[in-house]
Amino acid sequence: MKKNIKKGKITMIITIGITCFILVLVMSMQFKIVNQTDITSIENMREAELRTEFANWKSKYEDIEQQYDETMEKIEEYRTTSQSNEETEKLVDEELEQLNMSLGKTDVQGQGIEVTLRETNNEEIARINGDDLLVIVNALKIAGAEAISINDERIINMSDIVDINETFIKVNGKRILAPYVIKAIGNSAYLETALTGNGGHVDEMKKIGQDVSIEKSNKVKILKYEGEINLKYIQ
Amino acid sequence: MIFITILIGCILGAIIGMNVPMISYTYSSYLAIAIIAALDSVFGGITSVINKNFDLKIFVTGFFGNAILAILLTILGQKLNVDIYLAAIVVFVGRMFVNLSIIRRYYVDKWLNKSQNKDKTK
Repeated sequence: MKKNIKKGKITMIITIGITCFILVLVMSMQFKIVNQTDITSIENMREAELRTEFANWKSKYEDIEQQYDETMEKIEEYRTTSQSNEETEKLVDEELEQLNMSLGKTDVQGQGIEVTLRETNNEEIARINGDDLLVIVNALKIAGAEAISINDERIINMSDIVDINETFIKVNGKRILAPYVIKAIGNSAYLETALTGNGGHVDEMKKIGQDVSIEKSNKVKILKYEGEINLKYIQ
Repeated sequence: MIFITILIGCILGAIIGMNVPMISYTYSSYLAIAIIAALDSVFGGITSVINKNFDLKIFVTGFFGNAILAILLTILGQKLNVDIYLAAIVVFVGRMFVNLSIIRRYYVDKWLNKSQNKDKTK
């Protein structure tokens, strides 16, 4: 009986000791956690506070992300428009170049012919006058010449070829001297036939004994118009 | 004998608890509620000793059962988005105060009786 009581007491003491041990263990762990988390203010907050804070930040983040997306879209848009602008710029540039070429503001090169007219010393043969050049240039234009020059004076839409007093010739207002070299870019066969064919002016000039030679070439180089093109009254 | 065991248990618990690795702050609310439940059980046990109806089985089951139940309720409250742990704290702390008042009355009565007896013997 006495032993039984003692046994019961021992188990009780041990159980109480274990419970005390567990209680203090958990308590000290909790103290430690609380102490350590007190260090920074964020961790000191209650979980609910943290949650609301987190929700705030999340919404802010989402807003900013949306803004970022929108901005990126805009940038993409700008990029595509700028690209298309570049394309149009390129097209316009090409057009401008072509226009300049046809206007005569650039040096051009291509298939064509060179007509050389030399003055003869023979007094009986008529000297070459401006009308000859004019007729030849007209014939070349009809034959589809894309660029023409006389002694490197480019013939443009407003060019003049005048014979002054049957003594000298002016092209583009500048005096030119023999020998006259007319260069034309175009289909060389057409250009040649336009001058030498039946009734062609070169043919007729040759018949009266003037010294005219035609040379076909794949690389005729025609210089640009040196003067300025001023438009004052065209609106 | 019993006081020595309690003392040893407390010291051992404190030493081990201070050297145990940190538990995440998220679980500290569960631990806190378990501590409150366990303390309530302890004070309940002391009260029952005073009332002379202390039962070790009931004390131990109450000690662990209440703690585990409190933790489970807190978890359930978090899942339901209701602060059930507040209710648990109110109940446990309320009971703790009741038990403490019983203990206080018992000892005050005892002390008063002693002094009266002393007076009588004088």
